[in-house]
Amino acid sequence: MDNKALLHVNNIHTFIGQFHILEGVSIHVPKGKIVAILGRNGAGKTTTLKSILGLTPPSQGSILFDGQELQGQRSFEIAALGIGYVPEHRAIFRDLNVSENLKIAERKKGDLARKEAFIFDLFPDLKRLIQLQGDHLSGGQQQMLAIARALVPDNKLLLIDEPTEGLAPVLIEQMMAAIRQLSAETTILLVEQNFIVASQLAEDYVIIEEGQSVKAGKMADLVKDPATIRRYLEAA
Amino acid sequence: MTTLLQSFRKNRALWVTLLVLCITFLMAVRGLVDPIAEGGERYKNVVITILRGLSTGSIIFLVASGFSIIFGLMNVLNMAHGALFMIGAYVGWTMAVRPDTVVDAFTPLVLLSAGFTLLPFLDWSLQKLNLPKVAGGLLPWVGLILAIVVLGFAFPKYPITSWDVGSYEISPTNYAFAASQGQLVAPEPEGFAGISPLVGLGSIILGGILAAISMAGFAANRRRSGAGTGSTKESLPWKSFLIFIGLVFLGWIVYFFNTPISTFLLNIDTTWLFILAVLVAVATGVLLGALIEATLVRPLYETHLYVLMLTLGVSSIIIEVVRAIWGAPEFTMPRPSIFDGTGEGCPAESLGALIEHKCSTIQVLGGRVRTYNEIFIPILGIVVLITVWILLQRTRLGMIVRAGVQDSDMVKALGINVQRIFTIVFALGVGLATLGGVIGAPSTGLTTTLGDSLLINLLVALAIGGLTSYPGAAAGALIVGLLQQFIIKYGQIGIHIPFMDEPFKPTPPLVPAMTVLLMVVILLVMPNGLFGRKE
Repeated sequence: MDNKALLHVNNIHTFIGQFHILEGVSIHVPKGKIVAILGRNGAGKTTTLKSILGLTPPSQGSILFDGQELQGQRSFEIAALGIGYVPEHRAIFRDLNVSENLKIAERKKGDLARKEAFIFDLFPDLKRLIQLQGDHLSGGQQQMLAIARALVPDNKLLLIDEPTEGLAPVLIEQMMAAIRQLSAETTILLVEQNFIVASQLAEDYVIIEEGQSVKAGKMADLVKDPATIRRYLEAA
Repeated sequence: MTTLLQSFRKNRALWVTLLVLCITFLMAVRGLVDPIAEGGERYKNVVITILRGLSTGSIIFLVASGFSIIFGLMNVLNMAHGALFMIGAYVGWTMAVRPDTVVDAFTPLVLLSAGFTLLPFLDWSLQKLNLPKVAGGLLPWVGLILAIVVLGFAFPKYPITSWDVGSYEISPTNYAFAASQGQLVAPEPEGFAGISPLVGLGSIILGGILAAISMAGFAANRRRSGAGTGSTKESLPWKSFLIFIGLVFLGWIVYFFNTPISTFLLNIDTTWLFILAVLVAVATGVLLGALIEATLVRPLYETHLYVLMLTLGVSSIIIEVVRAIWGAPEFTMPRPSIFDGTGEGCPAESLGALIEHKCSTIQVLGGRVRTYNEIFIPILGIVVLITVWILLQRTRLGMIVRAGVQDSDMVKALGINVQRIFTIVFALGVGLATLGGVIGAPSTGLTTTLGDSLLINLLVALAIGGLTSYPGAAAGALIVGLLQQFIIKYGQIGIHIPFMDEPFKPTPPLVPAMTVLLMVVILLVMPNGLFGRKE
């Protein structure tokens, strides 16, 4: 393991109820990079993110973040170490307005005031909608809010799950631009079903198949390897 | 206008249901108008019945709001909520009628709980010690048994001057009656039975510490088996020591000055006693709530059915404990003196006279309205409604609760200790229930079935309003309250039905039946209740 790794997931196994969802996933996320988790539906990509956060705690294996072992810690403690989570399906809080959705993510008083300019620069729409209730936002706006929420505290790592799912092509472009802009500041672990999007954003990739990480490497190499893409990523 | 039309299209069922409810309400109101009386007096029955409905609804709301927030946030149907409401009534009664008993009981309870404030320290030491498996497994049980032995030795000898359920002269019923006449004579305080006070008080502190050791031991074993996880805190938790010493000190002070405090409390005005009773009842509720959450509910969160069974069990234990301490016969709680005047100028003719003479009743449109029941309780209900609403909408805690109701995992993922929020919300929810209990007690009296009937009412109210919706809890409680009082009123005057010679008089047993019937009808039309969210 090289020293520049911010997150090192080492052979984790996760059960949900009696189902053995992850059967050995290892991921290496170097500092400052975007790493994409690829794989088919139901492969265990989302569970991997949730396991890192302790929402579905792994029963085996180790997760090192910034030199600390996350295994055994509780979700809120893990998050407070500096991990932001952008869940799939844009899980923003529907009963809270945009401003409250951002405010709730503060870990210290004044987090939002400090980051406001940066966030509204990235997503100018949110400024206009600041008083609107979460469930009155469009899909794209909700996705922006979900990402913005993860930017409020100082996070060293962002876990972003399917940021472009169900968005119109124009919005996908916008979202990609935003994520690219973010990666200048922070490290990102991305789950992305859309290979075109993932290949343009990420520098490294990990492929998960049936709960196991089966392949990892440079995105530039994967793009030139149609056999691997067909084997693991195209609809079976 | 267009937005109204849109809202109608989107929520057709809600609008139609509300319309039907309004029409029914207006028809019921119309039936109560007295055709013979003159002027405003024709509406006497209407006003009084609506005020009574507001009063009943307020009490239901106080309890239902806490229940609904707890369920929304934690998915826990707290079936003990009705019994805890009853605890509020009984504890409040004790403070209002026999403050000396509360003072007596204060010392041992504080000394006992002092032990539990050492929990953070005990957790820390157990993690440091890292006992071998056998010792770790035995420790909590040994602690528990020793605690029971020590407390079983000390508690029965502890002098708490209270009452005797078995003998009428010194029964709660008789004390309640004497208090309402202003002629209460509290029995002489006793001393420790056969042991020195030092041994008695010391044993109680020791018992608390042993019980805490047992709790910490169980928690450590849970951690070891991987069911719950926690991080090791490196520094010694000094703060818990300071709280421990503070509580022990407080307990001794109150023990030392027991008689002067009791005498003082027995001689102050009933309004002050009532305010103290409310505070004591709410504090008891908050502490009990936190205790139940931390010890019983928390280990079982993931299995909702077990929590349901557990709270049902807690409920019946509470009822039996109440029956053992206060006895089964019904008794009353005196109203605070500012709502209890009957002398000159009463019943009050105007609001000014009401405040001046502190009348127990006020003359409204030719009828008498009881100040405490029909004016104070609804006002308090509205005050709590607004306070909790502000708490939910304007504070960080409220924001986290609203977010957690929807998705508590996401709240955790933001770095918020949801576990702690759960405990706070559970404690506050139970505090609201005991508030309802103590406020309702002077109007309804105290019986050991108080909790059961309230639990049914609150479940019906929440089913009507929507289980996890705060406005729904208010609306449901209001509807149930009004419906009950209208039916009771119609039970007295009868409903004229065409082609029937005698007016139909609904009998009292019909009251709960009608509320359940209304619930069934509303749930058929709107399965999530009026304001519930479709999941």
